[in-house]
Amino acid sequence: MSSDLEKEFVEQLEANQNIVHKICRLYTDNQDAHNDLFQEVTIQLWKAYPKFRGDSKFSTWMYRVALNTAITLYRKSKRRVKTQRYETVEFKIEDTTEDDETMEQLTLLYGAVKQLNDIEKALVFLYLEDKNYREIAETLGISEVNARVKMNRIKTKLTNIINP
Amino acid sequence: MDQLDILKSKWQSQKRDFPTYSTAQLTGLIAKKSSSIVKWIFYIAIGEFLLLTILNIFMMDSDQHDKFVMMLGKPLYYGSYVLSYVVVLFFIYRFWKNYKNISADQPARQLMKNILKTRKTMKWYIWYNMIYVMIFGVIAAVLVLFNDPALSELIESAEFQEHKVRFMAGYITVMVLFFAVFCAVLYGIYSLIYGILLRRLKKNYQELKKMEI
Repeated sequence: MSSDLEKEFVEQLEANQNIVHKICRLYTDNQDAHNDLFQEVTIQLWKAYPKFRGDSKFSTWMYRVALNTAITLYRKSKRRVKTQRYETVEFKIEDTTEDDETMEQLTLLYGAVKQLNDIEKALVFLYLEDKNYREIAETLGISEVNARVKMNRIKTKLTNIINP
Repeated sequence: MDQLDILKSKWQSQKRDFPTYSTAQLTGLIAKKSSSIVKWIFYIAIGEFLLLTILNIFMMDSDQHDKFVMMLGKPLYYGSYVLSYVVVLFFIYRFWKNYKNISADQPARQLMKNILKTRKTMKWYIWYNMIYVMIFGVIAAVLVLFNDPALSELIESAEFQEHKVRFMAGYITVMVLFFAVFCAVLYGIYSLIYGILLRRLKKNYQELKKMEI
């Protein structure tokens, strides 16, 4: 593949990598697993990139490939050594403006979403990313009505986890 | 504004609190090899095709070859020989076609369905081979019985005639059982490998299917 294509891809990925990081944090338990999944998502994105026509936004396409990798394609590798869990990891925050309260609430939210199953996580993630039901339905391959019904159930479930 | 809406706005306002990769690091990452389940399915399928084709050649070209030709007759023997390769080519074609349909940018449910379809092709291929091994295995075992000079002399001897039917029935039953157990063990190992590999996928596929009911 031409290096122009590679350059263009890497630049877009660099700008949108936060999406992949958020998915990795939801679907893994420690930093090593996070990096491992991030790597696999990157490979899958690159493999599928020649078919990306630009009909949709790069980020929209990215949501689909990254979630598919996390839910379906990714296979946990055994070579990994046990490392710190997220809860104990101090994230390095670039030009931090987030206050303690926001950080605390985000940790709470991540903790709650992680208790859901793979599919529920994907639905909640897309909801939190402010995707509409049409996009959520298209990403998962279900009908819009069913996405809405399921989302309402998960919202209740999530609220119950947050406020036991 | 309910609690989830507040959390949603917090979520969207979150800054880059992850270790970020530079373009140089990302370029390095895309050069790495994938270890996705699709890749595993591909390698396992290649292994199956190679192993079973070798087994097929071994069975067809063994020292039983002439006896097979004699018993089945040339047209039937070579016919089945050609047919077995046509069947393998058919399975390779089916597998390749399904495999090519798998793409990471499909809707999740479609992607899972395509992976399971690819796996199904290999499942049929294994079934086909097991039936093949069963039939030819038992025929070969019976041929050995009649072509071994010492054994055939015993079978044809006058004193043995009254036991002949019972002996033959027992022998064939044992051989069928032997090949059945052999195939069952093979199939068990095979199912275990795919079971481990696809457990999570199947669970998630069921979950999505459940939503559509």
